[in-house]
Amino acid sequence: MISCTEFIWVYNELFKYLERRGGEGKVIEFWKGISDQFLGNLREYVREEGLKGMYRYWSHTLGEEGGRHVMTLYDDMFVIDMHECPSAKLIYQGGVVEPYEKYCEHCRWLYPPLLDELGFDADMDIIDCKKGRCRLTVRKKPE
Amino acid sequence: MANVHKDFHGALSFGLLFLEEHYGPDGCAEFLRELADTVYKPLADKLRHEGLSALREHWETVFSLEGGGASCSYEGDALVLTVNQCPAIHHMKQHGYAVAPHFCEHTRIVNEAVCRAAGYSASVEFDQAAGRCVQRFWRAAS
Repeated sequence: MISCTEFIWVYNELFKYLERRGGEGKVIEFWKGISDQFLGNLREYVREEGLKGMYRYWSHTLGEEGGRHVMTLYDDMFVIDMHECPSAKLIYQGGVVEPYEKYCEHCRWLYPPLLDELGFDADMDIIDCKKGRCRLTVRKKPE
Repeated sequence: MANVHKDFHGALSFGLLFLEEHYGPDGCAEFLRELADTVYKPLADKLRHEGLSALREHWETVFSLEGGGASCSYEGDALVLTVNQCPAIHHMKQHGYAVAPHFCEHTRIVNEAVCRAAGYSASVEFDQAAGRCVQRFWRAAS
């Protein structure tokens, strides 16, 4: 069994394998597939509770994954300020695998399109991959 | 202590399905075998230098973090890992994630690749629906 504690490294290797076999387009196709078919729980949280659902979803996942971040829930906006991404830390600082150079891009393909579909504008700003710094800002689209 | 986010089992299952769909079982197996040279290289190196105790330590760490039900024992010169409740299968079923039809095959392929790299052999008998398996590891005949 591949342990869930080893998954991030396997994920990194999967991106590299897909790029080798099918180019960057295949990696993006995979990321879109995850967004469309795997993130059903995020979709449910957001459909039920909007911005608050996002807060609940990421409280759970980031709570389990670790890292250092601040989540801010406003009336009309939700923000994750990631200071030290647990996943990027394993990839860029773990020394176990050679990092896939576009590793952090997966978040840009996983989350903003899904949130857009559900009525939110989302900006994924990748600040510094090696340091695991990024910011996700989500605003409700005007009615 | 490592962070434990079990939804990653579902993401792995999705990845295996994607690989099979796009590159067939051979592509999926090729990807998994290559993990022995990357993600699992430290484990293969440790197994080569320290023997089966390294693998026993690995599995005890994994199952102490993940839970489920598993135990290690020796049968003669072979290390036997008996999994009575696979944490991956259990979590995916409990949370409604799609379990890839050949999900448990990844265990056989990765185990064999890691062992081959270290001069060992491995086998696995599994019942995916029940989330149970018995894995065996032994030094390969030279």
